[in-house]
Amino acid sequence: MEPFAQWLQATPLSIAIQSSSWLVPLLQSIHIVMIGLVFVTVLLLVLRVLGVARTEQPPSVVWAQFAPWLLRGVTVLALTGAVLIISEPVREFTAISFWLKMLLLALGLSAVAVLGKSLRRDAPASRSLAVLTLLVWIAVVFFGRAIAYDVEVWGALSLKA
Amino acid sequence: MTLHDLALTVGNSGLGAWMRTNVHAMPVVEALHVLAAATVLGTVLVVDLRLLGLNDSQRRVTVVSHEMLRYTWAGFSCAVITGVMMFAANANTYYGNTAFRIKLLLLAAAGLNMAIFNLGALRSVVQWDQQQRTPRAARVAAALSVLLWVSVIFVARWIGFTKGYDFAVPDNVDLDLTIP
Repeated sequence: MEPFAQWLQATPLSIAIQSSSWLVPLLQSIHIVMIGLVFVTVLLLVLRVLGVARTEQPPSVVWAQFAPWLLRGVTVLALTGAVLIISEPVREFTAISFWLKMLLLALGLSAVAVLGKSLRRDAPASRSLAVLTLLVWIAVVFFGRAIAYDVEVWGALSLKA
Repeated sequence: MTLHDLALTVGNSGLGAWMRTNVHAMPVVEALHVLAAATVLGTVLVVDLRLLGLNDSQRRVTVVSHEMLRYTWAGFSCAVITGVMMFAANANTYYGNTAFRIKLLLLAAAGLNMAIFNLGALRSVVQWDQQQRTPRAARVAAALSVLLWVSVIFVARWIGFTKGYDFAVPDNVDLDLTIP
């Protein structure tokens, strides 16, 4: 993976992004704003399953209302995330937290899809899956921030140590 | 005591020392700060979109805002606590950082906008609680709120790229730090 990261980092596209003083902060800011959108959307879906919020609305209505926002948010997160990876592929691909984040992201998206199947049909969804989904998304945000601190977080386990 | 003295006191406190010496502190506190900021922004957005008539138009304004407010405050409290912790780790550089100062002003502006809305347009909410189209003052407050909170995030991220770091200069090194 590291040779690929080294190659990617030396491509004209990567160098162009790196040499901009404002592009990376701008993309990171958009990324964080979208985290707000996606995280709270997941939170609302989870709270609906748990019967804590929006109990007067059928689950299918809550899903129909918020699933599109979730999809839009995740799309923007993927796009800004992809450009951020291209700008610093070595830092990202050699970080344990990065791969853990990607794994948890896949789990988090699958978990929302499973919850969505029940919500759409107004069928009772698993409450423990709902709680787990929220925890997985919290972990995604956590390890996203931890990419910048691989040695501090992972110590000797880190490839950068 | 000036503001700068206060900043230095926070920086020199036990909390500041703990933040600087504990290797796990910064990543954990920063991650919590991002989560807290995401909660504040997202929950504020839900209320603002309702006020703008773009989402939840079949739900009453007071129901939407009452439901979200507890999460907004929980997130905001967590953001303030983690924010103070990060500030304590590098108090002097944050104090002198322009982006940090603009962020505090934008936060104050967001708070003022909310206070004006609460003391003004919101007082007649019973008349438009169920309507998709809210009064102009409510829509202006909602649009300003979105703009201010998104700006807070942008300026906050900029701090990390402009603040530099506090570091101790070894005794045998002669650094000329005078500004030309």
